[in-house]
Amino acid sequence: MIPAIDIEGLSHVYGGAEGAVAALEDVSLSVAAGRFTVIVGPSGCGKTSLLMMLAGLRAQSRGAIRVLGGPMPAPDPLRVGVIFQEASLYPWLTALENVEFPLSLRGTPKPDCRKRAGAMLELVGLSGFGERYPHELSGGMKQRVSIARGLVQDPPVLLMDEPFAALDEQTRMTMGHELLRIWSTTSKTVVFITHSLTEAVYLADEVLVMSARPGRIIDRIEVPLPRPRSYDMMATDVFGRLRDRIWQQIRKSEA
Amino acid sequence: MKIIAARLALLALVLAAWEFLPRYGIVNPLLLPPLGDVLAMLGELLQRAQVREALGVSGAEVLLAFVVAVPLGAALGVLIAESDYLGEVFKPMLFIVFAIPKSIFLPMFILVFGTGFQQKVAYAAFTTTFVVLMSAAAAIESVKQDYLLVARSYGATRIQVLARVYVPSMMPLLLETLRISMIFNFTGVLIAEMYASRTGIGHMIASWGENFQMKQLFAGVVLLAVAAVVFNEMVRWLETRVSAWRT
Repeated sequence: MIPAIDIEGLSHVYGGAEGAVAALEDVSLSVAAGRFTVIVGPSGCGKTSLLMMLAGLRAQSRGAIRVLGGPMPAPDPLRVGVIFQEASLYPWLTALENVEFPLSLRGTPKPDCRKRAGAMLELVGLSGFGERYPHELSGGMKQRVSIARGLVQDPPVLLMDEPFAALDEQTRMTMGHELLRIWSTTSKTVVFITHSLTEAVYLADEVLVMSARPGRIIDRIEVPLPRPRSYDMMATDVFGRLRDRIWQQIRKSEA
Repeated sequence: MKIIAARLALLALVLAAWEFLPRYGIVNPLLLPPLGDVLAMLGELLQRAQVREALGVSGAEVLLAFVVAVPLGAALGVLIAESDYLGEVFKPMLFIVFAIPKSIFLPMFILVFGTGFQQKVAYAAFTTTFVVLMSAAAAIESVKQDYLLVARSYGATRIQVLARVYVPSMMPLLLETLRISMIFNFTGVLIAEMYASRTGIGHMIASWGENFQMKQLFAGVVLLAVAAVVFNEMVRWLETRVSAWRT
């Protein structure tokens, strides 16, 4: 079976000949369809660059990216949905209109947009909030809308760039749990970037650890915890050992 | 509610002072005619064909200069904001020129365009274009990069990014620009008319002043003030409507 995401020998260099900065170095990875993969690493390790390339939003210097068997020279919202930090909702649109936005770009008829966007808001637990503007929603609710927007075109692959980083710890854990619930009903392939080790272990099937710049993948950790995950698992030894191993790897790479 | 009452009281006080101070000779009525007399004169002036014609000419000048300057300034502003190269090259010069009082160029406009309709339009359009250009560039730069990235990630075309992201995001600032540019535009036409002209409301006000016809002069001032305030409030009303999403 073809993996949902296949990256081979990916390198990226910023800037010109003199001020060139190597952001990524020889990154190779493969994600099977339906898996939840989390990437962690120190700030500036090129995680976001990697995600942008996967989304077709940025070109790589070298190497090959295949998503569902094809390259990503430009954004393709039918294959890949992206969910950004800070929700990035359009403040002049209501929650419902924000979710409709990707559909309306493709000329989907209005009633159809309404129906699908409404269904997505319901999936993320926000039915009844469709008419609210972003500034009338809490941080967690905004990010729910953003997830609904990412899912509305039903792309098989979902890329998430530190989506919960701006939320408080408690909301963050609730949102992570919610995301797993949504993921289990939609069977998407997810690549999720985070700084939080707890979040990484809690969400992931597999955690990829990246080194400081130039970013390389220095460890791959399978998370054997059963699904559905529950909050009590965080207190287990397995959970603690996994988190500790990731921590050690990141520390080593920064030293 | 209390604030509104106080504001109305202030307005009433100013108007009452205008009426009664000259009426009782506390202020020289030759310099400041009482409000009632000014309003009566305004009613009379509006009956005169000559005044109506002057208003028509000035109105046409303002409108035409606006129609020329706003798209021109907006297009130049977009170019400068969108192209890093053009921005780097032109911005310093524009900032410097922006600081120069535009009225010193008025004699040049008279040499080139004469003292007629064209000169008023050209001069007002010239002063307005600068304002529109600067505000349009600022409005475009105010659009968050995140918004553009989201649109691109959903496969938006260039036209869609423009229509669905730039325009709504910039709309409050654009209306603000429209409002300010109209003020500059209006001022431009009036100054040009007062400086050298044979017609137009600005010309009439200037000649009333020169001939010490204070009632006529103040009637003209009231008329223009009302026109300016009405336009300003109309655009402000639109602004609050389209920027309801702003907190």
